[in-house]
Amino acid sequence: MISHFEKLLSVFVAVLLITIASPELANAAAVLADLENALMCKCDDKCGKVLINCTCSTADKNRKKFAKMLESGLTVDQIVQQQIEKYGETVLSAPTKNGFNLTAWVVPFGALIFGGLGLRRLLSGWVAKNTNTRSSDKIIDVASGGNPSNSRNMASNQYSRRLQEELNQLET
Amino acid sequence: MNDIGEFTLMVALATSLYGTVAYVMAARGNRIDLYLSADKAPLITWACVMISSIALWKAFFTNDFSLQYVYAYSNIELDYFYKFSSFWGGQKGSLLFWALILTTYMVVVHFQNRSKSLVVVPYAMAVMLAITAFFLLLLNFSTNPFERIPLPPEDGRGLNPLLQNYWMVIHPPTLYLGYVGFTVPFAFAVAALISKNLDDAWIRLTRKWTVVSWFFLCMGNLFGASWAYVELGWGGYWAWDPVENAAFMPLIVATAYLHSVMIQEKKDMMKVWNMSLILLTFVMTIFGTFITRSGLIQSVHTFDEATLGYYFLGLLFFIITACSVLIVSRLSLLKSKNELDSFLSREASFLFNNLLLLGIAFATFWGTIFPIISEAVRGVKITVGPPFYNQVNVPIGLALLALIGVGPIIAWRKATWSNLRKNFLKPVLFALIGGAILFPVLPLSNRSEVYTYIAFILCIFVLSSMFIEFFKGTVARRDLHKETTIRALGSLIWNNKRRYGGYTVHIGVVMIYAGIAASQSYGTHIEKRVKIGDTIEIKGYMLRYEKLTAVQATSVKTRIIAQLAVEKGGKKIWTARPEKEFYKGQNQPVSEVDVRSTLASDLYVILADFSEDESATIKVYYNPMVKWLWTGGWVIALGTMVCAWPDRLEQRRRLERLKRQQIVFSPAQE
Repeated sequence: MISHFEKLLSVFVAVLLITIASPELANAAAVLADLENALMCKCDDKCGKVLINCTCSTADKNRKKFAKMLESGLTVDQIVQQQIEKYGETVLSAPTKNGFNLTAWVVPFGALIFGGLGLRRLLSGWVAKNTNTRSSDKIIDVASGGNPSNSRNMASNQYSRRLQEELNQLET
Repeated sequence: MNDIGEFTLMVALATSLYGTVAYVMAARGNRIDLYLSADKAPLITWACVMISSIALWKAFFTNDFSLQYVYAYSNIELDYFYKFSSFWGGQKGSLLFWALILTTYMVVVHFQNRSKSLVVVPYAMAVMLAITAFFLLLLNFSTNPFERIPLPPEDGRGLNPLLQNYWMVIHPPTLYLGYVGFTVPFAFAVAALISKNLDDAWIRLTRKWTVVSWFFLCMGNLFGASWAYVELGWGGYWAWDPVENAAFMPLIVATAYLHSVMIQEKKDMMKVWNMSLILLTFVMTIFGTFITRSGLIQSVHTFDEATLGYYFLGLLFFIITACSVLIVSRLSLLKSKNELDSFLSREASFLFNNLLLLGIAFATFWGTIFPIISEAVRGVKITVGPPFYNQVNVPIGLALLALIGVGPIIAWRKATWSNLRKNFLKPVLFALIGGAILFPVLPLSNRSEVYTYIAFILCIFVLSSMFIEFFKGTVARRDLHKETTIRALGSLIWNNKRRYGGYTVHIGVVMIYAGIAASQSYGTHIEKRVKIGDTIEIKGYMLRYEKLTAVQATSVKTRIIAQLAVEKGGKKIWTARPEKEFYKGQNQPVSEVDVRSTLASDLYVILADFSEDESATIKVYYNPMVKWLWTGGWVIALGTMVCAWPDRLEQRRRLERLKRQQIVFSPAQE
């Protein structure tokens, strides 16, 4: 029998997978921006910025070059492929979603799901333990004459006294 | 003066080492004479580091280019304002600045706690002195800011033009105040572990330090974003650069700690977890330092002479190992006395909040180190940039935003369904109505816009839940004490500073969420080559290019300024003056953007290029709601100030709460 939590979790996982896998819907005006977002700037200064964020002269030249390439009919994927052949994978601004690089995408969500399951297990354990403790407290309380505070008070009288002293000091 | 600076650095190192050993021996041997002697070490160390810092500042102000560091980061023409900030412009000075802040904090902690616990405080001071000694070791033997040049040059190389911005004086110190501030709770946590004083005393002693450090780290991140926005000239404020991540991660882990520590204070639970979180926060601050100073990860922030990676890696390894051993060896003492009552409780919502916050921190960490992993496994170094972080962190961030609304209005211990219905009905209703109103207005053509729509609905949910809390409290107080509404609101906040200060911080966070969501999805830009008199149109604004002027600002700086008249609805509303600055000896000019900022949108104008015939390439960005980010930051500042304000009532409430929960006291922890 699937619990509510597991149903919710599976919906959450499905949403996350759709999020990762769904292709971006782009309009024509945003194509160049998509390309600039997908590639790193490859200037001599090794600025380490995504092309769309870089303002150096190399980035400006590349932007103009890519705009012309797009006008000539090349697609974003073709231009990206050309850049990978020229500079290697390091020109991409994010890991590809295949091979070993897939672990980059999967591990964070995997860790989150793993953590969520662990947390759920921990919480269930605590709640169950607390319920049991309360039940056994009732039994002890009955054994100690029906006064629910007897057992605790006996163990902590000296600390109550100290607490009262602290409170009195605070008042003064 | 340079000799004095160098000498005092050495004295500071010797004193900090002596203090570390003496405090530990005093605490272990219960020797009051040694304790009194060790107690002088923090003050002497601070005084020495201060003298050393003054010596370096003096060298900057007097153009003493016999110091290699001054030669590398200053020149005669540099403004005094930037000579002051050049101090932390490079690796050597920034380490000295770190040591200066750390020793200053240490002295404050020393005076704050002189009359308090003689068990925990000596160990905490020893930990802080040991960390200070680490930095002083580097400053003395590896990266000395007083290193001389045998034949001093007449002028220096000057400060990087990108760093010649007023944010340079504000952003690094703010960030450092946050980074270094977490040393205090870390030191007390380690001291509690060593001395086996594992009740919540160390948390109470360091609560304000944690809140204030969190605040500085938060503001440091925001100031950095603001600096990037006005200085880097690409229209954005956050690029998920490894060093930005390094400042972001401790902030996120510390946020998780600030929430989960409330469970320990209320219910004496989660001791291991809280201990681990504060240790992790400190580890993250050192990890950030490791990134900037190792040269291992490519970043725009990396220092030129990033050669200290192995030292910081060693420190990280030592801290993680030592703290893990300490926690494991104290597990029996860290055992919780209470258990959770229900899944439907504020405690549980805080735990899920922790899960999501750590999820974001882990995803960011994973993205930051993945290039190294990829290189180790495949031999191919790849880049992990904004598209990765946006796709991974945005969905988790949205879930977190929902929890910000849930946390404050769900009951402690156990919420009943009727209680949930009562508390959640109105916020959910407001959110749905808001969503219905926004649906026909907002475009939903891609994933980013859908996320933004969801973010807006959640923002409305959170804000309405917060305002309802303020409203209910104010009305109750007004009726009970027969006060005016304003006075009732004021006394409500004043008498519950932590609670309502926290709510105010949440309102600031929601504003930041809204600003990020809108600016990431609905921004647009245009780039156009224009001649004098040409116009550019964007989102109802018309920019008319009026003139291009050249100004020789100083002997090393030339400014090229474009002037554009901005009209809206046929009426002139602003004159934009974006510029390019050329510095002698620098290959690349620096863009100085001009921004007209309102709560609705920013008009962000860049002079991208120009020719001698006065034609120019102008880039104009329309960025909606960016001002919400900065305003949210100030709201957070206000909330933090309320939270951190001294509260005598809070102490009384705590003691009364403990009285009600007498069971939490344990002889084993005395």
